[in-house]
Amino acid sequence: MSDFLYFFTFQDSSIAFVVIGIILLGVGSAYVGTYSFLDKKALLGDAISHAVLPGICLGFILAGTKNPVYIVSGAFFSGALATFLTSWLRKNTRLSEDAIIASILSIFFGFGIVLLTVIQKSGNPEMAGLNQFIFGNAIAILEEDLWIYGGLAVFIILSLSIFQKEFSLLVFNAEYGKAIGYPMGLIRLVFNVLMILSVVIGIQAIGVVLMAALLITPGAAARFWTDKLGNLVILAGIFSAVSGVMGTYISFVLPQMPTGPWVVVFLSFLALISFLFAPKRGVLSRYISRRSYLKKTHQDHLLKALYRALEAGKKNMTIEEIYEAYPFQKRESDQSIDNLISNGLIIKNQSIISLTPKGKSESKRIVRLHRLWELYLNEYMNIAPDHVHDSAEKLEHILTPELEELLENRLNYPKLDPHQETIPRDHDEL
Amino acid sequence: MMSFDQNAFLIIFTASMISISCGLLGVFMMLRKMSMTGDAISHAVLPGIVIGFFVSGSQRGLEVIIGAGILGILATLMIDWLRRKARVQLDASIGITFTLLFAIGIILINLLAYKVDLDQECVLYGEIAYLPIDLWITGGGQNMGPRIMYLALLNLILVGGFIYLFFKELTVTSFDENFSMVIGIPAGVINLGLMSMVSYTTVSSFEAVGAILVVALLVVPPATAFLWTKKLNQLIKITIGIGIGIAILGYYLAYFFDSSIAGMVVSVAGIVFLASALYKSKLFSNRFGTSTKQESFGN
Amino acid sequence: MINHIEHPIIEIHDLTVSYDQSPVLWNVDLSLPSGKLIGILGPNGAGKSTLIKAIMGLVSPSGGYVKLFDKSLEEVRSRISYVPQRESVDWNFPASVLDVVLMGTYGKLGLFKRPGKKEKELAMECLEKVGMQGFAKRQISELSGGQQQRVFIGRSLAQNADLYLMDEPFAGVDMATETAIFELLKQMTAEGKTVVVVHHDIYSAVNYFDWFIMLNLHLVASGPKETVITEELLRKTYGGKLNLLTKVSDLIRQKEFNPLKN
Repeated sequence: MSDFLYFFTFQDSSIAFVVIGIILLGVGSAYVGTYSFLDKKALLGDAISHAVLPGICLGFILAGTKNPVYIVSGAFFSGALATFLTSWLRKNTRLSEDAIIASILSIFFGFGIVLLTVIQKSGNPEMAGLNQFIFGNAIAILEEDLWIYGGLAVFIILSLSIFQKEFSLLVFNAEYGKAIGYPMGLIRLVFNVLMILSVVIGIQAIGVVLMAALLITPGAAARFWTDKLGNLVILAGIFSAVSGVMGTYISFVLPQMPTGPWVVVFLSFLALISFLFAPKRGVLSRYISRRSYLKKTHQDHLLKALYRALEAGKKNMTIEEIYEAYPFQKRESDQSIDNLISNGLIIKNQSIISLTPKGKSESKRIVRLHRLWELYLNEYMNIAPDHVHDSAEKLEHILTPELEELLENRLNYPKLDPHQETIPRDHDEL
Repeated sequence: MMSFDQNAFLIIFTASMISISCGLLGVFMMLRKMSMTGDAISHAVLPGIVIGFFVSGSQRGLEVIIGAGILGILATLMIDWLRRKARVQLDASIGITFTLLFAIGIILINLLAYKVDLDQECVLYGEIAYLPIDLWITGGGQNMGPRIMYLALLNLILVGGFIYLFFKELTVTSFDENFSMVIGIPAGVINLGLMSMVSYTTVSSFEAVGAILVVALLVVPPATAFLWTKKLNQLIKITIGIGIGIAILGYYLAYFFDSSIAGMVVSVAGIVFLASALYKSKLFSNRFGTSTKQESFGN
Repeated sequence: MINHIEHPIIEIHDLTVSYDQSPVLWNVDLSLPSGKLIGILGPNGAGKSTLIKAIMGLVSPSGGYVKLFDKSLEEVRSRISYVPQRESVDWNFPASVLDVVLMGTYGKLGLFKRPGKKEKELAMECLEKVGMQGFAKRQISELSGGQQQRVFIGRSLAQNADLYLMDEPFAGVDMATETAIFELLKQMTAEGKTVVVVHHDIYSAVNYFDWFIMLNLHLVASGPKETVITEELLRKTYGGKLNLLTKVSDLIRQKEFNPLKN
């Protein structure tokens, strides 16, 4: 607990720096990543992040120490070379994009490993610092590193914000952008540069192997909560920053733990929560709305049964008759009856069930939609009267008043459905 | 320095077997445009390997293979769940799945650091150089030779057998999945079989070349061979040839530069790949007028 | 105008198919006679390919069923042949023309068995029928569009089926190929085979087919040429989608789940 307080009260200025750094880079890469996610190029980010390894090593070899300027430049150039090779191979060979990305990723990484082992065996004492670039160690971020990583992150965030229109065009419809005279090639180039930069700034804290997660996961998770690009980017940034800080905290408490894997675990956890519990799109809310829809269909069917009894001259139905109509669904039927009663659509007197005036009107509406749709299928889609029922059983629950109006219009306010049954209107008496 | 000794032979022999196994599977992964899925699987099996190591203790046995196999299948299911049930687009599903599982693997290694004989470096590039001293000693105390060589041999036999037996099915499902389903070939089962072989190969090659470089061996030799031929049997032959070639060259270069053998094998593969691409590219054939023009006939 | 017949070779009952939960085929209900050359007509996005895919079990319907030879698909798989759209595969695949045609024999070959002399002879015969015998050793990446199409038809011939379903076999082929393919299809129906073809060109279709299925998200017509090629039905087929149907589709797509699924 004291660790916790010590960390989150930022008494130690170096911790404050690290936290600022991780928030900036998290927001920056989530920002870029959201666009590349929407562009369906998520895996290119993975390739770039593996591909910066040889550049880091070369930067180290040239500088002889863990100099952030050399390392960032080296990483940038090897990321850029990988991006360039990817698009060059796509244009000049028959290979599929998938094979190209996987090849470039693994070749660069392999070469990086060669350089890494060469450095390792050279006996340079600074080597220990280099290993951190693979799985990340946020705690090792120093103040001088922060100026570079933080500066680049701010640059990324600003560029994306200023050229939001252009990048949205690139992701949404590049062809159209070209047609209306935007230099799409240049915009793509700038975007790729930003993407490489966002990988480069993340390597110290997250590491090359897992950097892809910071590009892919925040956008994918945020997508579940909103449809608006602005909100999407902000939410992705928040997810990323929160996970970043949490991962850093773990590294702080357990010094031998690399930061990257923990950031990824927190990020994935947030993503999982989004996938499961986000309103509307989440798995759970889709399940719930399907369940409540099924309940509603059952209630609709009960109302219809009562209406049909009315048509046949019966003022009400006994509960046994209802159980009989829906065998094996006694519990659902009971539940539907309770719901209908509390909504004031039916009344139950001992075991006799009858429609209230409100229930009559509602049941008429459902039967009307059912029969209108049957007639529509028969007249406009040439479907035989004995085949129209199943479809109408489903559509009667979802047709809106607007579509009802349209159907009435199209069919010219018909009196009878294809089975010669009356299509009930509100003012009809039974 | 380049003298031929038994250790060199053992290492090259093992590395060749591993790259042939990977290449054979990689050909079909590439033709199915699933190279990145191979990448994802090889990352994702890591927690299974760690748990397998932990359970089996120093005797690295079946537990490791089972652990990784379970994780390989779990990864495939997770990608599928994200795509179908949570409706996340495919590339992101792959990305989320493998980064999470790989991260868990790394965390487990660190948590169990004192109990598991496995470090981060091993995950990255394995250590085939220690192969000659890691021996298989039978219960009776007899020295059978390098343990990893037997793993690689068994792997090669199983992969080779799988490809040989299901060659027809693998080909038709790779070329035209819908057609294969129509003629009653269970494309889903064949696909799952291929993925299982990839996970198994990853595990089996893991100690020698590490989890990430396995991907390179899966992807790069087939991609290189694809630049040189339009025939499937030649594609396979060239892939095997490249696999052996890069093992030999990679070993001696690594020896010369005193670096990771696995990393060097991949670097050599990369150079061969990029040189082939340059030689075969439209750019090159237009500028230098070589005979590699690939105009299609009858258009 | 939907003609139903006795003892149909294909019977489709109330078939509804959705992609990403928005319905692309509504309540298709039809039966087809055997031994005929049958054309599926309709504008772009009318659900023509979807209908064939649903018949072949490649997309699962959200309602209804299909019966072939009065049986389920599984029981009669070997009697049915399918020609997918040419663009559905990557023609850079490393295979020769003969390799692809041989794939037609795989269904009957069963697991583990390799195609032998008998299969190769059959494949060569099929190549001859589509006029590609001289190209057997050629790699498929080196073929023109029309040649690729012939290879696909050759492959389906090698299946030796009774019922052939072809998705746009005339798309992007030259006139000579189109005529040659059409002659071949006519000959096949003369031998008692049934051929169902998705076709996009209404003008040539009138000369080619004996029976027509006209689609526009729903079934507009199904019947012999003389009864269904009328101005009114053509207008219904090609004169734009039903406004109401599109609206209902939109409504369903915006739901969080597919209400049409049972």
